[in-house]
Amino acid sequence: MMMKKLRNISALVVCLLMFQACSEDFLNKKLLGNLTQDTFFMTQDHAIQSVNAIYAKFRSWELAGLPYIGATDVISDDSDKGSTENDALYLKEIDDFLFDATNQTFSTMWTGHYQTIARANLAILNIPNIDMDESLRARLVGEAKFLRAFCYFRMVQWFGEIPIISEPLTEDEYFTQVRQPVAQVYDFIEKDLQDAIASLPEKSKYPASELGRATKGAAKGILAKLYMLEQKYPEALALCEEVISSGEYSLVSQYNTIFTQAQENGVESVFEIGAVALQAAVVGPGASPYNMVQGVRGIPNLGWGFNRPSDDLVASYEPGDPRRQATVIYVGEVLPDGVTIVQDNPDIFNERFNQKAWVPSHPGLQDNGPGNIRLLRYADVLLIAAEAANEAGNSAKALEYVNMIRKRARGNNNFILKDLTITNQAELRTAIRKERRVELAMEQLRWFDLKRWGIQNETLTKVGKTFVNNKHELFPIPQTEVDLTDGGLVQNPGY
Amino acid sequence: MKEKKRLILLVALLSALRLCAQFVVTGNVVSKSNNEPLIGATVVEYGTQTGIDRGTTTDFDGNFELEVSSANAQITISYVGFAEQVIPVNGQSTLKIVLEESGVLIDQVVVVGYGVQKKSDLTGSVATLKGEEIQKIATPNFAQAIQGKIAGVYASPTSGKPGEGAVIRIRGTGTLNNSNPLYVIDGMITYDADFLNPQDIESIEVLKDASAAAIYGSRGANGVIIITTKSGRKNQGGEITFSAFTGTQEPTRYIDLLNGSEFARAFNQLRGNNYYPDPESFGEGTDWQKEVFRTAPLYSAQLGVSGGNEAMSYSLSGNYFSQDGIMKNTSYDRVTVRLNTVFDVKPWLSFGNNAAYSITESQNGPNVVGSAYRMPPLLGVFDDAGNFTDPTFFGLATANPAADQFYKSNNFGKGSSLLGNLYGEIKFLKNFRFRSNFGYDFNKGDSRYFEPKFAVSGSQLNLNDRLSVGSGGNNNWIWEQTLNYNKDFGQHSVGVLLGYTAEERSSYNFGGSRENFPGTADELLYLSSGNDTTQMNSGGASAEALNSLLFRTNYTYASKYLMTVSMRVDKSSRFTEDNRTGYFPSLGLGWNAGMEEFIQNLDIFDRLKFKASIGVLGNQAISNRYPTAALVSNGLYAVFGPGENINQGATVISAFNTDLRWESSRQTDVGLEAGFLDGRLTTEIDWYSRNTYDIIADVPIPQYVGSAANPFVNTASVLNTGWDISLNWREAGTFTYSFGANISPVKNEVLQLAKGKTEIFSAFINGEPATRTVVGAPIGGFYGFKVEGIFQSEEEIASSPRLGNEKPGDIKYADINNDGVVDGDDRVFLGSPIPTLTYGFNFNADWKGIDITADLFGVSGNKVFNQKATARFGVYNWEARVADAWTVDNPSQSEPRVTNGGHNYRVSDRYVEDGSFVRLRNVSLGYTLPNSLTGKLGIGYLRVYVSGTNLWTSQKYSGYTPEFPNSGSTFNVGFDNGSYPIARSIQFGLSTKI
Repeated sequence: MMMKKLRNISALVVCLLMFQACSEDFLNKKLLGNLTQDTFFMTQDHAIQSVNAIYAKFRSWELAGLPYIGATDVISDDSDKGSTENDALYLKEIDDFLFDATNQTFSTMWTGHYQTIARANLAILNIPNIDMDESLRARLVGEAKFLRAFCYFRMVQWFGEIPIISEPLTEDEYFTQVRQPVAQVYDFIEKDLQDAIASLPEKSKYPASELGRATKGAAKGILAKLYMLEQKYPEALALCEEVISSGEYSLVSQYNTIFTQAQENGVESVFEIGAVALQAAVVGPGASPYNMVQGVRGIPNLGWGFNRPSDDLVASYEPGDPRRQATVIYVGEVLPDGVTIVQDNPDIFNERFNQKAWVPSHPGLQDNGPGNIRLLRYADVLLIAAEAANEAGNSAKALEYVNMIRKRARGNNNFILKDLTITNQAELRTAIRKERRVELAMEQLRWFDLKRWGIQNETLTKVGKTFVNNKHELFPIPQTEVDLTDGGLVQNPGY
Repeated sequence: MKEKKRLILLVALLSALRLCAQFVVTGNVVSKSNNEPLIGATVVEYGTQTGIDRGTTTDFDGNFELEVSSANAQITISYVGFAEQVIPVNGQSTLKIVLEESGVLIDQVVVVGYGVQKKSDLTGSVATLKGEEIQKIATPNFAQAIQGKIAGVYASPTSGKPGEGAVIRIRGTGTLNNSNPLYVIDGMITYDADFLNPQDIESIEVLKDASAAAIYGSRGANGVIIITTKSGRKNQGGEITFSAFTGTQEPTRYIDLLNGSEFARAFNQLRGNNYYPDPESFGEGTDWQKEVFRTAPLYSAQLGVSGGNEAMSYSLSGNYFSQDGIMKNTSYDRVTVRLNTVFDVKPWLSFGNNAAYSITESQNGPNVVGSAYRMPPLLGVFDDAGNFTDPTFFGLATANPAADQFYKSNNFGKGSSLLGNLYGEIKFLKNFRFRSNFGYDFNKGDSRYFEPKFAVSGSQLNLNDRLSVGSGGNNNWIWEQTLNYNKDFGQHSVGVLLGYTAEERSSYNFGGSRENFPGTADELLYLSSGNDTTQMNSGGASAEALNSLLFRTNYTYASKYLMTVSMRVDKSSRFTEDNRTGYFPSLGLGWNAGMEEFIQNLDIFDRLKFKASIGVLGNQAISNRYPTAALVSNGLYAVFGPGENINQGATVISAFNTDLRWESSRQTDVGLEAGFLDGRLTTEIDWYSRNTYDIIADVPIPQYVGSAANPFVNTASVLNTGWDISLNWREAGTFTYSFGANISPVKNEVLQLAKGKTEIFSAFINGEPATRTVVGAPIGGFYGFKVEGIFQSEEEIASSPRLGNEKPGDIKYADINNDGVVDGDDRVFLGSPIPTLTYGFNFNADWKGIDITADLFGVSGNKVFNQKATARFGVYNWEARVADAWTVDNPSQSEPRVTNGGHNYRVSDRYVEDGSFVRLRNVSLGYTLPNSLTGKLGIGYLRVYVSGTNLWTSQKYSGYTPEFPNSGSTFNVGFDNGSYPIARSIQFGLSTKI
């Protein structure tokens, strides 16, 4: 009897021991050393960080690396692939228009921009629910919308109809998205930009330490460009003039200093992405690949040497235009640091490099690119204003704006780049386009300009590219996307 | 007062446990024909009375010692090839047993999950490998010894890296990702066993089917390997064992690449001119593979002592193992000390421990397999000035592998690990046994890597010398409580196991680095001497837990009819509360038909058993301990202002899935075991089907979702069906020999994909998927264009379906759907990476002390994708076949013109190769000195031997080996992206006992 009791007791003890440990606490293992979605978007700091993360993506390989240069400059008549003959053959395909839908240029642009959009979507969805300063909240959401619109604006010009992802997708939505009409994408971008204009401050309202965040002026500038695409010239002109009359911006007096570190976030900067070379093993926390991929290859070894300013571009400058020297690095040239001379690299034939992407040597070497990436300059806004004015029939205004650009370029040399006086709309159109090309050369804008003007075919054929009508106006949808959606994303014609 | 009460209670409790009387019997087992001692004979007291099987094996002198339940116990002595004897102890403490050769293969006792069972009583599929078989062939890793020995078990070397083991697959690839079996080493559950000293192994049991493995529940789906280490024997004087081997290793083969003059010729063809006017002048050029690989030594030495008295037994061993890698500047050294002890405190109470402490040291020089494959043979290791040659070759971005080996080899790792268990066992109320087992695996590793300043080329350089150190460790423990009940009721015999286990695994790591050291002398290479403004640090941690309930019951009737029912309930911290619990039941039935009179009357079978089982097992399947967590990534910095301030950025960048559930597999096994011709011929045949469903995988999702990584989802259902057939012939006598053959055909088929998905594309190469998984076909089948031939002329191109801008000499891809153009719709299934057949043969012979062992292993039916040949970011060397490239003068029908990317590098069957091979895995020749001689020398036993590993291989694949490790998802299996060659080695060794 006694024994039986004891047995029961011991059994009980054993059982207790067992189930003590079985509490759910034991099994609730938290992710260590990291926030999770459950603990994020709780504080004002989280709101700020979630928006900072969108900016960060603009310094990534996808948005500032080689494929990006390919999808903007190399594909245009402004530049050739550059580097050594067999390096990055996928860019050679881009240069020669021999690409198909598997070329990584397209998948990289697609992936990078949609990942940026996803970061913006999360911020736009969640920041409104955070208990925080109201005006900061409005500004952060405005920044996210601006950055989202910026991505869609590039994407719609590259790919045409694209899926509009405006909120984080749920699992059952992953494979079911379809391409939306271009007009709808335009509307979506305009809505985001209008919201951004309403909630973003002017550049001067930011403290110096926050310069580089999206501004009212930047949003207006991009919206003006969208209106140009839609041929809403008076609206575009009006927006540009708002930017011009805001007093926030002016032209840097010397063209060849625009891309120096001193002018980062300078008076001419409407929107740019900050980068810095902090000490680090390879890639520092603020670096971008933008300078590396375009840097001088050889001696001094500053980079990979891609994006060679083309013969056609070099020939397009008016005689004596100092902007050519400020845009192109030649062998034998003393670099802007005033000391280093570029030497001939025997592996590259007739090399040239993009001076606008040049940066002096810095910690962490080439990988650790410190140059801010200029995405919208005041000069660009002025030229859009000129173009819009001319298209709207106001040649006087057009001349006023375009001549501001020429005046700055000529500096004190009155023998070059004389003021334009043409008033014939077609002739002035040609002149403004020419001006726009040389002013903004190698700034990743040319492909979009050619597309807007509808002169891709004639221009690119002229420089020997095998452009095919009704095909090459748009990039192919990446083959992986077509495959993954089982054809749900219909390929662009011709691919 | 209180104390006293407690004491009384304790005494009462202890005395309440009624205890069985114990009796120790020792004996000697010899063969009737020659009176030679029988080594390794099994001596068992079956637990028909007590519920506890007690067993041992005879030692090198045929001696055994066994503690039995009482002086009236019956013990069963068996030995392969001899007639089993059942002997009543009748109070004798010393027995002389003479076994008669019969060839009848007798029952063994095998280790099963949480216990032991007679093999004849098993309803599940369990294969056993004895330690001697592993120790016979000198091997640095037990897994290499398994290959080809057990039907349905496939072990392939993970790499030729020193210290690394093998990837083991039991019954094919059941899941889309982690298919590694679970290891249970002396009761401690681990996920790999590479560190284990093979000399310490007593036996390895492989649990292959549901009836055997379901007791391991959520981790049993890929099979379970139970490893038992050696322990001492009671009542036996101490003995000393010593064994050692030494050997050399070298790569089994080299890849056939273009030599100097061939490369120069190909380069001229690529450029379309005579860039090298005299290609012949380059001759052989540099063979970069020979530059980076070497012949490397390996050694092992082991000293052990063991013994025991009535109350305890012990086994203490020390082992030193040292292996240099076949790639220069890689090495691995390991010291293991093991102490296994058992203490019988009281007849009803025992304690034991098995503990191994090991320390390892490794040099981890860079893996330069890829750059050795790519370097043009025109470049030498050093230039004329004696510096490492700048590898820049027409923009070539690869690195001079010899320079990497020189500059990047100050990279060392140190590790220590304590693994083992501690248990206590109480027997009470005659039929009950309670065991509490605490298993632990505490390990820690440190790394130090110093990279000096150097400059070989513009891309192969390091301008700031840097020291990086890191440290990390794991603390894993399991606490298991099990209660056994065994009782016979007449012909009925019942065994019940109940258990509860709790398990926690955690790990941590941290590291730091600094640059700009005042010198490169070893004594300066500590963080403190580096520049503190360059310092960086990092760290992290993770943890997981598992709670489980176990239940198993065995029922036998008259030893003829067998049934096993088991159930495990697992709760894992990896899943959210709703999906946390998994139930894993199994049922096994068996019929020892050989014991039926009508079968015995046939006089055909010595033994005949039929068995069948069904059950559900699980797989946690993924290495991520938090697969459902939506991780917020930080470090997404934004830079603002003229001060270039770094602003912290963070957000969720990857899609996640909180609904993730267990991956499960439904397994069915039907089998028979039979023995014929007095046990000379035995066979085991199993048919199985394994349906793995809710498979966890990170299936690619469209990029417009904007996720940086693919989320884990329960996606698909896969069916493996196959046979494990093994056949053994054994003839015992003065000349003892045996043949074994095992063969495992397996078929892999996808039954279902996730929600509405009809296909999964993966393994993207240059933007194109190289695998496509569809219902009805194997997982991750290769997918791409079919090469039809080579375009010989512009006219042929103009008149043929084509892909784009082909030129003469380019590959002509087949227009599969005959629509006049070649496009994405013309891609087809190009073969499966999964073998349809694996097989092994082994041979053993023993004649007057001379022994020979050989194991042959092969697979067939699988393909390999030679991915390394498709990745050309510069002018790399080409594989040998390019020497026959198409030119106007050499109108090849199979080799396209020399190009360096683009059309001819599209995903096609040009890169899909036959993965079949047959390999002589192990072979050994040994000689054991006769007792008469060793006796005089005062030595118990002495064997000397020579053994070889991977001495001969027949393969069609052009790479180093078709069996290379697969990283990542099972949708991407079989891609050779620069795998490490495996080593061929020859060892000499001896083992002795005093």
